[in-house]
Amino acid sequence: MQEFNFLQPENYREALNLLNEYHGKSKIIAGGTDLIVDLRKEKYTDLKYLIDISKLDELEYIKEDGEYIKIGSYTNHKSITKSDLVNKYAKILTLGCSEIGSPQIRNRGTIGGNIITGSPCADSVTPLVALNAIIVIESKEQKREVPIEEFYEGPYRPKIKANELLKEVYFKKLDNSYQGDFIKVKRRNAVSKARINIAALGKIDQAGKVFDIRLAPGSITPKPQRFKSVEELVKGREPDNEIIEKMGQKVAEIMIDKSGYRWSTEYKRPVIRDLTKRILKTVLEVE
Amino acid sequence: MYNEIKKSQNRLDGYEKVTGQAKFGADLNFGHQLYAKTVYSEYPRAEIVSIDISEAEKLEGVVDIITYEDIPGENEMFGRFPVLAAKEVKYIGDGVAVVAAKSKETAEKAVDLINVEYKEKQPLFNMKKAYNSKDDLVHTDKEDNIIEHSHHLMRKGNIKEGLQKADVILERTYYTPFVDQAYIEPEVIVTIPDPYREGIEIHGSIQNPYSIRENVAKIMDLKISQVKVIHSTIGGSFGGKDESVMLMAARTAILAKRTDRPIKMVLTREESMLESCKRHAYELNYKIGAKQDGTIVAIEDEVYTQGGPYNNKAMFANWRGSVHATGPYRVENVKTDYYGVYTNTIYGGAYRGFSAPQTVFGSESLIDELAYELDISPKEIRLKNCLKEGDTFATGQKFGPGEIPAPLADIIEGVCEHSDYEEKRAEYKEFNNKHNEKKKGIGISCTIRGAGLGGEGIDTAGATLTIDQDGSINLISDLTEMGQGMRTAHSQIAAETLGVSLERFTFINTDTSIIMDGGPTVASRGTLAGGQAVIEAARKLKERLKKVASKKLDCKKEDIVIGNDLIYHKQNKEKTIAFEDLIEVCLNDLGISLSAQGWYNPGPEELDEETGQGKAYPTYVYGCAVTEITVDIKTGKVNVDKITAGYDIGTPINPQQVKGQLYGGLLQGLGYSLMEEFEQKEGYLKTDNFDDYLIPSIKDMPDIDIKLFDIEDDFGPYGAKSVGELGIELVAPSVTNAFYDATGRRIREIPLNLERTLLGKSLSK
Repeated sequence: MQEFNFLQPENYREALNLLNEYHGKSKIIAGGTDLIVDLRKEKYTDLKYLIDISKLDELEYIKEDGEYIKIGSYTNHKSITKSDLVNKYAKILTLGCSEIGSPQIRNRGTIGGNIITGSPCADSVTPLVALNAIIVIESKEQKREVPIEEFYEGPYRPKIKANELLKEVYFKKLDNSYQGDFIKVKRRNAVSKARINIAALGKIDQAGKVFDIRLAPGSITPKPQRFKSVEELVKGREPDNEIIEKMGQKVAEIMIDKSGYRWSTEYKRPVIRDLTKRILKTVLEVE
Repeated sequence: MYNEIKKSQNRLDGYEKVTGQAKFGADLNFGHQLYAKTVYSEYPRAEIVSIDISEAEKLEGVVDIITYEDIPGENEMFGRFPVLAAKEVKYIGDGVAVVAAKSKETAEKAVDLINVEYKEKQPLFNMKKAYNSKDDLVHTDKEDNIIEHSHHLMRKGNIKEGLQKADVILERTYYTPFVDQAYIEPEVIVTIPDPYREGIEIHGSIQNPYSIRENVAKIMDLKISQVKVIHSTIGGSFGGKDESVMLMAARTAILAKRTDRPIKMVLTREESMLESCKRHAYELNYKIGAKQDGTIVAIEDEVYTQGGPYNNKAMFANWRGSVHATGPYRVENVKTDYYGVYTNTIYGGAYRGFSAPQTVFGSESLIDELAYELDISPKEIRLKNCLKEGDTFATGQKFGPGEIPAPLADIIEGVCEHSDYEEKRAEYKEFNNKHNEKKKGIGISCTIRGAGLGGEGIDTAGATLTIDQDGSINLISDLTEMGQGMRTAHSQIAAETLGVSLERFTFINTDTSIIMDGGPTVASRGTLAGGQAVIEAARKLKERLKKVASKKLDCKKEDIVIGNDLIYHKQNKEKTIAFEDLIEVCLNDLGISLSAQGWYNPGPEELDEETGQGKAYPTYVYGCAVTEITVDIKTGKVNVDKITAGYDIGTPINPQQVKGQLYGGLLQGLGYSLMEEFEQKEGYLKTDNFDDYLIPSIKDMPDIDIKLFDIEDDFGPYGAKSVGELGIELVAPSVTNAFYDATGRRIREIPLNLERTLLGKSLSK
């Protein structure tokens, strides 16, 4: 394992200052569940400083703010799965976070870390995409907000500068007329990377038509995203098996368009088609 | 009727382990120790042109570097493993040089500075290609790539005539992959120069101390007794901590001798996966002939077992395989051939089961296919053919009273009744008719397993018991505790024999300088063979105690009873002596030795090597499992919901430990069935740590319901037989059989990972 200096700022401002001072030579460590593995593989050759944010209470919270739920970046997955607020207003995030790793990893690993690592199969990210989450990023000089869908250039490549810190992620509360679900396909029942995951939200209006539909499949495209062209197929219409069948097919086609025909495509093509159908039936309440 | 056995007593080494007091190999540190690290081959097969260590030698903190030129004795150990490759590397795990440095980090850096020039050669990866090749040879001193002494066969009846009698003949091929033992503790060796004499002392995670001692003596050019091996607390082995630790012991011994300093070598998980043995990968080709009513008339099989570049026990494992190839069934006409094959890949070796997980997967898939072919219930076809009293095994051994017990029919009936096998088959059929995305299935498998080493070698073992002044009793077993609970089982046997309580017992770790060579701790023989030696030692002590007691109590020796920590006259209960008091008389007043050795020697098994016929094993254990699964046919995910199993392992000395062994085996069998696999590309290992090599988690553990059928069998100590390996082998076939029941698709290769379940094949990057 490579050598580095360990810095532990006392408050949020100090963390931003340290990042500014050592930018390009430092990494933030939160839960460390991804970073420690990378360090053992000596992935960051220029790394000289680890800046530990575990003492920063300012980054650890789940709060209600008007029509939003806001989650501090140093909030671990366990806290999210236990949060009444998240469970009430964004159940799919509860489902996603509870699928991450093992109890030990959920106790250590943070939502900020999961977002920053940027794995295409991150179990908290696909729900956040479906929730239209916004990410708050801050450096010593400035603060900015980005929709999570626009946050990635590609797999494991978040658009964040070396002197910036992920502060918060927030999203609009969902009223209880929304149906949501999260499905994960995994090789074993715990401590498992998603082979494929998918998050979806749906709302049917009083006329029985689709008022809102959000479909976010994970680990089939280089970066997490909603499949809006697929959503359009059913929006404003009465959902039925025929449309859902078409939507499933379409998701599989888009996957190949965006990711190319890969070694895993033979498996993923039928599976994402069928999972899309399965989740749509749930969230659009189609028998 | 027993006081100390057939009782779930707490582990003797439980306190040290749960309080963290027990030291594992990696916890050991000695003053002035150096850290050793191996330079591994860069190619699966290449000629070594030159090894340049000059840059590494200059690095501050590097104390010594060795290559094949620095080996004092022979550069070939058990299985043809070189300590370090001399002219050619034969797989990517071959060692080329070893560095000893003042810190781990320095050793790592130095390894990168060693420059080995290779001339690449075309490797042999494919087992069948290697088997057929006569000019491209992994070992050029041989005429082919068949591993020495690995061809084992079984000939019974007349295969040609047998098959002619059949109404139906099925030909099937099954495949099993290399899998890793996945013990929690990677391999560790700490070697120190013997502080008092010419010689060395080796500590570490060692399953079989005597073979390590013998091999190290050979390469060091020392006498066997000049090498002392002490095993540390072991964090799991399952057959794995043998060849890899032999290599480590040899390399560190050379460095310890040269530097006159302790040498510590701890493998990383990646190194462990690279360098330690795997369960042999198999190709099993079967032909089975049967009558329309399901009666098996003949089985012909040819099995190829992949050994990698070295002869890692294929000669033993294949022999065991050849005995069991026809399963627990009465087959009058048998032709079996097992061949071990050299390839330039990672190598096969011992991993819990030792041919059984592969062979039972083949034979139990086969009989299941036959059942469906003939439209007979999988349960009924097994009941019809399973070995019963009066039948003969493939080896010609006879089953029946006074000979080998044949309880399998009762076990099958019991397990099927307990699991509602036939009812559930019907129920799941109905469920599957109604459900399109999830399917349920139920599968069955049976096994017979030879207890102990049998024809692999003489099943001898030894033990020493010493009673000290305070009445405590120290047990020295000549076999190894690896977490399986052997010490506790042995102590319970000793306590029962002596008539005292288990609390008196203490133990020491195996130390080859003070014990006899009790052979390897393998083949589920710890209780079977070791327990007999313990009984003998305990009986010797008991005789001495009785003799003294009879004088003290003024009665005949035959009238003395020892029980419940008391010595008394069998009729006159008032004539008693406390155990402690008798010990004091023996040791202090009379000077009688209260240390006794027991040695167990069942004698060699009688076998005809030309036909495989004979007394292969003295007795057998049995099992039957019924497994229920749910398949998500849209994703390929298989979930094992429940396993109901029944076993005859003889007397369970410690029922809780027996169940622990079976649960653990079942879980490993589950990994074998569903997820464990090495991805190899052109001889390189793509799977080298637990992020890619998946083993089951607690959440994959199904409901398990185990019933022990304690069938009378006089062979073992108090009727105990074998349990260590038995749990693992029934799972894979019962899962694939359940998969067929659920989906109507037969999968003949494990594991049933997502891709193979959905597409019928594995995908690779």
